[in-house]
Amino acid sequence: MQSLAEEALRTAAISKTYPDGTQALRGIDFRLAKGEVHGLLGENGAGKTTLSKILSGILRPTSGEIFIRGQKAEARHPKEALKLGVGMVHQHFTLVRDFTAFENILLGTRVNPKGSGAARARQEILDLSKQVGLSVHLDTKIEDLALGAQQRVEILKMLYRKVDVLILDEPTSSLTATETTELFKAIRKLKEEGKSAIFITHKLNEVLEICDQITVLRHGEVSGRTEASKADRKMLARMMVGRDVVFDLVRGPSRPAEPILEVKDLMVKGNRGEEAVKGISFEVRKGEIFGVAGVEGNGQTELEEALCGIRKPSRGTIRLAGADITTLNTGQIRKHSVGLIPEDRRQMGLVLDMTVAENSILGREWEVRFRGRGVALAWVKIRAHASRLIKSFEILVKGPDSPAKSMSGGNQQKVVVSRELADEPDFVMAAQPTRGLDVGATDYIRRLLLKTRDSGKAVLLLSADLDEVLQLSDVIGVMYEGKLIEVGPAEQMTRHRVGLLMGGVRE
Amino acid sequence: MSFDFGSLGAISVISLNFMVPIALTAIGEIFAEKAGVVNIGLEGIMLVGAFFAILVAWNTGNPYMGLLGGVATGLGFGALHAVISVWLKGDQIISGVGLNLFAIGFVPFATFAIWNVSGVFPPVSFSFGRIAEISTPWAPLSYFVPISVGVSILFWYLLKRTRWGYQVRATGENPEAADAVGIDVEKTRIIAVLIGSALAGLAGAYLSIDVVGQVTKDISAGRGFIALATVVFAGWNPLVGLVGALVFGYSQGAATWFAGVPALRDVIPHADYLLSAIPYIATLVVVAIAIGRRNAPKALGVAYKRE
Repeated sequence: MQSLAEEALRTAAISKTYPDGTQALRGIDFRLAKGEVHGLLGENGAGKTTLSKILSGILRPTSGEIFIRGQKAEARHPKEALKLGVGMVHQHFTLVRDFTAFENILLGTRVNPKGSGAARARQEILDLSKQVGLSVHLDTKIEDLALGAQQRVEILKMLYRKVDVLILDEPTSSLTATETTELFKAIRKLKEEGKSAIFITHKLNEVLEICDQITVLRHGEVSGRTEASKADRKMLARMMVGRDVVFDLVRGPSRPAEPILEVKDLMVKGNRGEEAVKGISFEVRKGEIFGVAGVEGNGQTELEEALCGIRKPSRGTIRLAGADITTLNTGQIRKHSVGLIPEDRRQMGLVLDMTVAENSILGREWEVRFRGRGVALAWVKIRAHASRLIKSFEILVKGPDSPAKSMSGGNQQKVVVSRELADEPDFVMAAQPTRGLDVGATDYIRRLLLKTRDSGKAVLLLSADLDEVLQLSDVIGVMYEGKLIEVGPAEQMTRHRVGLLMGGVRE
Repeated sequence: MSFDFGSLGAISVISLNFMVPIALTAIGEIFAEKAGVVNIGLEGIMLVGAFFAILVAWNTGNPYMGLLGGVATGLGFGALHAVISVWLKGDQIISGVGLNLFAIGFVPFATFAIWNVSGVFPPVSFSFGRIAEISTPWAPLSYFVPISVGVSILFWYLLKRTRWGYQVRATGENPEAADAVGIDVEKTRIIAVLIGSALAGLAGAYLSIDVVGQVTKDISAGRGFIALATVVFAGWNPLVGLVGALVFGYSQGAATWFAGVPALRDVIPHADYLLSAIPYIATLVVVAIAIGRRNAPKALGVAYKRE
């Protein structure tokens, strides 16, 4: 019986109220056994991150107690939590980008990377890395490492500090499929050595794959506990969202009409001057979703930016509804009937410090309907516009004057999507539209894209999420090393085939 | 007066002496900025440091006590800047501007209030039993020149080689990362600011006691800002910072030396005004060249708040 195993960590009635009055956690009882991988599942805003920050000493609970190996513990600082053997790997890594992996691992320890103990520390880290199968180039600067490698540095940093409980906050959100497999292997190795892990995620498949026990949080409370072997996706989703979630969206037959976006022989340079998009041609027709699958970094971002007018193509043409938009800038392209959902909502989709109302007209502020007297903007109209969007797109926010940064990721994305789709544009480009979003918001946005297509509009979907592409697309193209190596109707593009193509393998 | 090797020697010694205040201030600021705190109040700290150095030296009759007075002033003002910008998470620029404005008002006021003279004290340059000097064939070289070289090497070593320096750099690059591994970000930053400010105070004291022999209401003459430019020029490297300070020292040394050439005034009217602008023109040029360098600490100027 799992529950009789030795206890690694336990919380008793942990509550947290933030200074602004938000109740993030209400009486959380949580128990982690030694050698266990415990999934902490919940939607964005459910309190997962708050709980993990309390466990790792970053935040202090308003009330409640924490016991580590049966001893009452009070960590006021991450340092104290580390001493007690609890370490956290944050979703957004806490690494110094300008330092090497080795310097980052030693940071805050007694060892000076340029000093006498360095050689021994290096050997210890190499041994550790071999032991758990996490290989890392110790002398490479973090900024030159891929995200997967950065995460390995973070984990090694914690293991070097001899933590027993490893808290992993959304550890797979920036990993490729291969990197995720490697991470899971490492977690299993750690388990064998008697270490425990708290695996925070909102991805149901992962939690079922790697965890022994699962605790589900909703609105700051525990909404369910189960052994992973007795759980399934439907049940977990219900605990998470509080209602049944339909996983299989119904995609009716498509009624494709004439092409609206025509891309011919497009070449686009990347940031380092390399050819990131190497001559691709495709067209997107009205009434269909054209899905572009592919591992990230194969030219999708550059393609997206070329279509938005952020990056000038070095060759080829882009035509929208017959008009040549190849050399237009973003502002000019936006004056066509387009909706652009950029891949990075926090950087490109929103100005986080601005209010929802201000964000709701971003890039549309030139439109006559938002114009007031003289050079002023008509703020009364803009706020009314934002209120309408909040209502019709079910955005959870106090009102149009709330800052965008106060919202959860899902609702932030809804602000972007509402702004781009409200005027029913003829062509919509959606890049990674559901990345990092919870089940509810993901479902909502996918339905919206299908609705757009059903109303006879064209959608270009760029997504690294294979499930998403397969679920939504009528036509699927696979990008690999800057080329669309295969394009075909969805019926012919099986999961197996697309998966292989993403790795550059043709059958 | 023709230009010969003797003149070159004289210019060099003067320039090295002029290098000192900029070098000390810039190196201290490099250290503070490496921890993530910018202090544009250095100019004010120098000025008030120069004032208190004279006040202490005048009353004790000991120039070394005066230097200590300058350091203490730096520490005091640094503490103020640290409390506002690190502890209370205030805006670093505004806090620094505040220090400068305070200094501009305080020094003339206190000079008048204490000694009943306006703008300058003592009215005639006074030798405070001068600080030890190295004699050269051309002009006396201040002991602060080798001290500055030493300070530059010391801080380079601290930052690059020691465990503490490495923690300071982490604090300025990514305070979240430093915090996550148990480095006390606030403490590290406060200490770095104190060190930087103490050096600026010492630079001010050096100016009033060792160079001028009096305090004037504009004795710092923009050197605090030139030091800030030197930090950027140096790419936050204390060794390069010393070189940068030397460049500015030379531009000032040259201006001073040329001002003593009477023939120049016949050729260019008001030549001395033009000459005294040389260091500032040099600053503009250097900043224009060095600007856009990318090795600034990434969290520079941003207060660290744990969410």
